[in-house]
Parts: sequence; structure tokens; C-alpha cells
Amino acid sequence: MRQIIKRMIILSAVVLMGGLMGSPAIAADKVIKIGTLFPLTGSCALAGQRCQASVATAVELINNVHSDIDVPLADKAGLLDGYKIELVHADHQGKPDVGKSEAERLFNQEKVYAIIGSYNSAVTKPASFVAERQKKFFMCGCSSSAALTKRGYKYFFRMAPTDETESMEFVEVMKWLNETKDAGLKTVGLIYENTEFGKHAADEGKKAAADHGYQVVADVPFNPGATNLNSEVQTLKAKNPDVVFGACLGGDYTLWVKTMKQMSWLPKVALNYCTGYQDPVITKQLGKDANYFMGGTGYSPEFAELMPAVAAVEEIYKKKTNPSVPFDSDSIQEAVATLILAQAIEKAGTLDYETVAKTLHENTWESPLSLGGKVAFAPGGQNIKAMSLITQLQEGSYKRIYPLDLADTDPVVPMTPWADR
Amino acid sequence: MTIFYQVVLDGLMNGMLYALVAVGLSLIWGVMDVINFAHGEFLMIAMYVAYWLGFIFYVDPLISWMASGVFVFMVAALTYQLIIRHTVGKPPLSSLLATFGLAMMLKNVCLNQFSPNFRLLSDTVLGGKVLHLGGVIISMPQLVTALFALVVVGLTYVLIHRTRLGWAIQATAMDKEAAELMGINTERIYLLVFGLGGACVGIAGGLMPSYLAVHPEVGTLFGLIAFVIVAMGGFGSIFGALLAALLIGLVEALSGFYIAPVFKYVAVFGLYLVVVMIRPRGFFGW
Repeated sequence: MRQIIKRMIILSAVVLMGGLMGSPAIAADKVIKIGTLFPLTGSCALAGQRCQASVATAVELINNVHSDIDVPLADKAGLLDGYKIELVHADHQGKPDVGKSEAERLFNQEKVYAIIGSYNSAVTKPASFVAERQKKFFMCGCSSSAALTKRGYKYFFRMAPTDETESMEFVEVMKWLNETKDAGLKTVGLIYENTEFGKHAADEGKKAAADHGYQVVADVPFNPGATNLNSEVQTLKAKNPDVVFGACLGGDYTLWVKTMKQMSWLPKVALNYCTGYQDPVITKQLGKDANYFMGGTGYSPEFAELMPAVAAVEEIYKKKTNPSVPFDSDSIQEAVATLILAQAIEKAGTLDYETVAKTLHENTWESPLSLGGKVAFAPGGQNIKAMSLITQLQEGSYKRIYPLDLADTDPVVPMTPWADR
Repeated sequence: MTIFYQVVLDGLMNGMLYALVAVGLSLIWGVMDVINFAHGEFLMIAMYVAYWLGFIFYVDPLISWMASGVFVFMVAALTYQLIIRHTVGKPPLSSLLATFGLAMMLKNVCLNQFSPNFRLLSDTVLGGKVLHLGGVIISMPQLVTALFALVVVGLTYVLIHRTRLGWAIQATAMDKEAAELMGINTERIYLLVFGLGGACVGIAGGLMPSYLAVHPEVGTLFGLIAFVIVAMGGFGSIFGALLAALLIGLVEALSGFYIAPVFKYVAVFGLYLVVVMIRPRGFFGW
């Protein structure tokens, strides 16, 4: 009897220990940790927080059943045979060194499978270097520096159009305005923040302008977070270019617009890279002053008819942002990045990095949250299906003006002077 | 030549604003030997006060600067009572680190409460208004802020140099123990000086939302420039602060336009280094 009791106790202990050890192991195996790396504080914090909310929205679609939403993976719960994504958030404050160390922390200590991020090109560059060295994924939504996908990285993938693509669009628009509106656009000026993003945008802008015979007459870099932009705008005003290409983020964009108004000067056309121009909150704050500026736009609620699947996803997103806002061009790309990685894992049927990377490169992905509707990657990780439209802000609303087959409004060229608004 | 005048005028107007931001810091530093690292954050708080008064109650910055000034006076006085009082007479590093902590706290409180969102007051009385003087364009919000700055700096100068209270402040700054023997309540003087320093930057911050966006980081660079001005002008010298601020405004504008915009802060901080190397006490240091 004693023997039987002894064996039962040992058996129970083994079962209990197995249960205690086994359950968390299984649970842990069923979680894919993904890091988000955005500027949650600092001058781009608002944009960073919206990007983070966008990733969380995509994870909500992946982890739970949303059969009413027409987005891949929304109709089932989790990935593979029941894996759920768990997010680990990090703040890079807009600083490259912080971004690099946070990427190392996410991979080494948090053991994340991939990082989604990181808005600022200047941060994406060193942070994605960390990922590449560890042979782990860096999914980049909206950082636009063309240099990022020219490094030949194998584990780096970027969803948004680059500033190279946008620069080419800008000069196409100038040519079209000259031909159809007799706009007389001949000279170009550039104003840009002195960072990885701004400098590369300006380089691409200068190259595109020169290639199409436009003369670059003003080249104005500035330090982000300056107390004033008087010298910068004064320099532009003195050179008086017909068109200004702008690469100013957040508060610098508002300061630039306000300073132009103070100096009673406007170019005929102002075209902006993915900057403060695309930020709906900044647009609202600027009120009438925001009108008649143009820029590349990958998404805006005004695009609803072109991207019908977004509306339902946007409702989830709005609940995750405070104050509640719709997607913007930048934030929506982060959801796309998350969904594409998830689709690749699902299709590959494994979490093995080599297999998933190969799958990402070899397939064209359905992406209803992208303007182009599809995502496919060139070597180096650039999404070759990335698209954006040129919009112009009219009465606080992003109007589509180019290309013509997707346009819904005639552009106002030259921009209406400050005094006549 | 018009452009030259325009650049000089912009530089002078910015310089006057810098003077208003810096004069309070100079006063505190000169009298108490306390480096207030939270000075830029006091400016940010003042801007938020003016912004919310404008946003909720439609009070224009032309009026709300008074509320900002009073509010930051109280914040500064409270800061003195709760923090600075315990560091006076201790190694200078203790007050510096304490105010650095306060700066971080204030910035993060605003970040949590108001989000990092950039906020602009629209439809202010002066918003977007300009004066044309020959070919030179004068921005009204900047001009009015500059004139306010001149008046406030002037009044502060008169207070310090032409009143009994000012003499008491000067006496406290020169020799605290001797001042106490002469019946001056130095504790109260310190409290008042810290409050006045806050009020000056509060007034500056109250006027600024008529043309600048408000956000939790807005005070950082202004605070840094204020330190440079105080060090250049001389610790405790109001006239020195005004002169250094105008010089910095001019150097910033002229180098920004005639050399390259990206060079303007190089020139400002380069000038600061040169002045500090040649004359560590600054132009008019006590």
C-alpha cells in the first residue's frame, strides 16, 4: 500500500511539474513578440504615437477574428496554428543613438522577432543596421530616405514610396502645370531639416530638378527645433524660387508656414515630402494658412473611394488614438508593414527567418491598406508597388490633383497670396 | 540694402525676445548664484497658460501675458520655497541638479497632460499682421513682443538700480551676511528674485503664442540661448543681458542669411565661446 501511495505521489509530482513547466512553455511558444520603435517623446512624438497605434490596429486584426473587415488575416485569429502577436513598445525620441540602443534592447533582452519602425529615417538607418547584423527583420513603414533601401539589406523591408520617387513626381507635376496651366515654373528652392531624411530628400529633389532642366536657386537646410526660421525664409524670399520643395517635420513645418506669412512671401507652388504637410492635426492647427500647399500623399480620408477597405480598419485605429484621428499617410504604412510580415509568416508556415525573408521577396502581397493595393519588394527591400498621389490642401481638405486619372480637383496655381485668403 | 535692413530688424526683434527670456535667469543667477535649469520649462508653462486661456476663453495673448506672468511668478516662488531654499549655500551643483530634475518633471507633466501635440492659437489680434516700412516688412506679433521686452527689461533695470528694494537685492547679491546685519530679510529677497525671474520669462511666454507653436519641447533651445546670453552679458547684469541678447539676435540673423541658415547657431555658440575665453565674467559681470 505504502509503495502504491509512494508511486502515486511521485507520479502526481511529475505530472504537476510537467504541467507547471509545460504550460508556460507552450504559451510562450505561441507568442510572437514584435517590437515597435517610434518617437513617442520629442518633436515628432505625436506622429510616433499615431504610428504605434497603427501597428496595434494591425495586431488587433491579426490576433482576433474580424470577418467583416476585408483585409488579409482579419478573418482568423492568430497566425500559423494559433500564434498571437504581442507588442513591445520602445521610444527613440527622434535620436539615432537612442534608436540604435533601443533596437539592441528589443532584440537582445525582449527577444522580439522583428521591429516595426521607426518614422525618422535618421533613426531607421542605425536601428535597421542592428536588425540586419542579427539577421532579424526590420519592417519600415514610412521612413522615406531612398538610401535606406539602397544598402542591399536582406532583412529590411520598406512600404512607403521613397523621397526619390516623390521627387520625380514633383518634377512631373511641375511639367504638367507648365503645360496645362501655363504656370511658368522654372526655378526650384529647397528647405529641409538637416537630418538623414531632410538631406536625402533634398539630394533627390536637386537631382530630379536638374534632370528635368529646372534651376535650383536656393538650398536651405535648417536645424530641427530652431527658435525661428527667419534667416531660412529670408533666404528663400531673396532667391524667390517659383517652386519650393519642403522637408520639414512637426513643429518646424508650422514655424516655416507661419514665418512665410510673417514675411508676406509665398512661392507659386510649394511641394512637400512626407512631412508636417501630411499631418492632419497640424493642418487643423494652421487653419487657412495651411491651404494651397501641395505634397505627396499615400492616404487621407478623402481617398476613401480609392481604398474602400480602410474605413472599417480606421474605426479600430481611431479608438487607439487620443485625440481620435483618422489614419494619415505615414501611420497607415506601419499597419501595412505589420500585416505584410504577418502574411509572410503565415504563407511561409514557419518563423524561420531565412524562409520568411525568401517568402517576403518572392511574392506579391495583397494590401488593401496601400494606395497601390499590392506590395512587392525589390532587392534591398523597397516596395516597388508603393504609390502616392499629389494632393493640394483646399479648405482644409486634401484634394487629389495628380495623376490626372485619380484627380478630383483642379489645383490652385499660383498659391493664393496671404493677404487674399 | 532693403534686405540688409530686413535681416537686421529681424535679428533685433529676436534679440529683444531673447533678452526678455534671459533677464530673469540673469537676475536669479546674479543674486543667488543659482543656475535655474528649468528656465526654458517656465517659458513653456507660460506659453501653455496663454494658449489655454486663448483656446478656452478666447483671451488674446495681448492680455493673457499678465496671467502667464503672474502664474509663472507663483510657480517660481513655489519652486524656491520647496526646492531652491534647501540648496542655497550648498555646492552650486545641488541647485543645478535640482532644477534639472524639475525641468524634466515639468516637461513630462506637460507631455502627459497635453500630449506632444503642437498647438497654435489662430485668429489672435496680431496674428499674421505686418507693417510695411519702405521695403522692410515688420511682423506685428514680433514687434509687439520686442517692445514689451524692452519695457519689461527697462522696468526690471529701474527696479534693481533705482529703488530701495533693488538696492536691497543688490546688497544681498554682494554680501548676504552684511545685508542681514543691515536688517534685510534675505530669505524674502531670494523668494522675490526667484519669483521675478519667473515673471519675466512668464511674460515672454505669454506673448509668444501669437506667432509660435506651443509644445513641451519649446522651451529647450530658448533656455539654452538664455544661458549663453547671461554668461555673455555677465551674471546679474540686466544691461549686459540686453546687450548680449541683441548681439546674439543680430549674429544669428546676419550669419543665417549671409553665410548659411544652417550656420546660425554655429555662429551664436562660437561667439559665446570666444567671449567666455576672453572675458569669463561676461561683458558686465558683477
